[in-house]
Amino acid sequence: MTNLEKLNQIFCEVYSVEESVLNENFVNTNVDTWDSIHQLSMVAAIEEAFDLMMDAEDILEMTSYENVKQLLTSKYEISF
Amino acid sequence: MFLELDRKERQRTAAIDDSGRSITYGDICDFSLVFAKFLPQRSLIFLLAENRIGSLLGYTAALSNRIVPLIISAATEEGLYNHLYELYKPEYLWLPNSKVEGKEVIFSAWEYCLVKTGNKPTPMYDELSLLLPTSGSTGSPKLVRHCYRNIEANADNVRRLFKLDGSEKAMAILPMHYTMGLSVIASHLLAGATLLLSGRSLLDKGFWALLKEATSFTGVPYSFEILTKMRFTRMDLPNLKVITQGGGKLTEAMWRSLAQYAKDNGKQFIATYGQSECTARMAYLPAEMAMDKVCSIGIAEPGGQLSIVDDNGNETFEREAQGEMVYRGENVTLGYATCREDLLKGDENHGVMHTGDLARRDADGCYFIIGRLKRFLKIYGLRIGLDEVERMIKTEYKTDCYCKGDDEKLIVLVTDAKLQDVLPSFIEEKTHLFHQRVEVKVVKEILRNEAGKVINQ
Repeated sequence: MTNLEKLNQIFCEVYSVEESVLNENFVNTNVDTWDSIHQLSMVAAIEEAFDLMMDAEDILEMTSYENVKQLLTSKYEISF
Repeated sequence: MFLELDRKERQRTAAIDDSGRSITYGDICDFSLVFAKFLPQRSLIFLLAENRIGSLLGYTAALSNRIVPLIISAATEEGLYNHLYELYKPEYLWLPNSKVEGKEVIFSAWEYCLVKTGNKPTPMYDELSLLLPTSGSTGSPKLVRHCYRNIEANADNVRRLFKLDGSEKAMAILPMHYTMGLSVIASHLLAGATLLLSGRSLLDKGFWALLKEATSFTGVPYSFEILTKMRFTRMDLPNLKVITQGGGKLTEAMWRSLAQYAKDNGKQFIATYGQSECTARMAYLPAEMAMDKVCSIGIAEPGGQLSIVDDNGNETFEREAQGEMVYRGENVTLGYATCREDLLKGDENHGVMHTGDLARRDADGCYFIIGRLKRFLKIYGLRIGLDEVERMIKTEYKTDCYCKGDDEKLIVLVTDAKLQDVLPSFIEEKTHLFHQRVEVKVVKEILRNEAGKVINQ
């Protein structure tokens, strides 16, 4: 599975959505179910899937699908 | 006036919300007078709550003017909202601007609007002050009926328990429609303190900026999972004096880490216990005992009394015992309402609450919750009524089912394999319980004994 497939699968499972909605509009303020419980569950799944530990301040930045991708690329050297 | 709001210093700040704006105690008093011009005493009003100033002012103005609010989340699922509306037929609504949707507005302030519905006045018991759903989550229209004295007594008990005064800045982030969220609000207003009223997620940067100002933080077990994940114990939080927890049991590991953190950093960790049937708080463990009495709910709060009724029906107030925990105090609510006519009912509990929780009392008089007699789970501080979830599934899918679980996970037994994938999201939609905390098991049949009790394991 590619990194993108892994990430998309996590988003689909955590937020109960289809892959097709994962784009620049998938932002915490637009997604009804995106609360702290879902966000933390997403973080845990990402940490496990990519075998990393995220810094606390980074977790606060993970407010959209695009932010998550960018952050993982820039700080954790995961390419998509 | 309600919570002696008119006896605080008028210029003192009562609340600051996420907009950065604030109100003083004088503003609260003035607003109550304005509000009273638009609706008569003893009206029934639905308050669609969000944690911000407009919502708070609706609460204080209603209670100060003997207007009876039913407080529900502004995000209440539409089906449940309509059900409550049809059952109780409120004469007025106080709701965020965004929810008005063409209804005729007779007054607005702080991005909240007052709507007159055209429903007839509701006959209500004279001392009825406030209605709250028993579980904001499981779609139950069952309400807890509070009298004026319940709210005042709880606020005063909590004020005494935490020795609150006007210098406090309380983090008020638990939802207003949740009994403990309201308890934080009422107790700090009674003390003349400042509320940091916030609807933010605990994973929002703004929350962490607020936490640096707060003198106390009140959370449910899941709040502390987030705080721990964010490594808050390494943060510099010089103003924070008290961390307090309610809404279910912490794990032993989490408890120890919070107690240790408090000890090492000169803060107090105070675990509490309560139910919406008793206007939130009922028991607490004094901070100095946190390291010794791990996972204990402690002793009755000031103004309350705890006892245990054992299997033989003997009630005791001291020494070691095990059985159902019973609470007495002026914060024991009047009873439930399940229909409009029930709003006329008086006090059915008479100050005594059989909690439905099984407890053990140790030789020092400290109580430990060891089980539950009633059929509900508490996950993320949400009360999930198992009968109600079963009823929802049966109504929607016309199928037999059975719910069980613990405070980690809801387990649903069904016979129809097609439901395995759809039920978690259905339950999340209806109850807001995170779907990954729902496990669906397909069984051949749901086995019941002669008494109708389900025996599948």
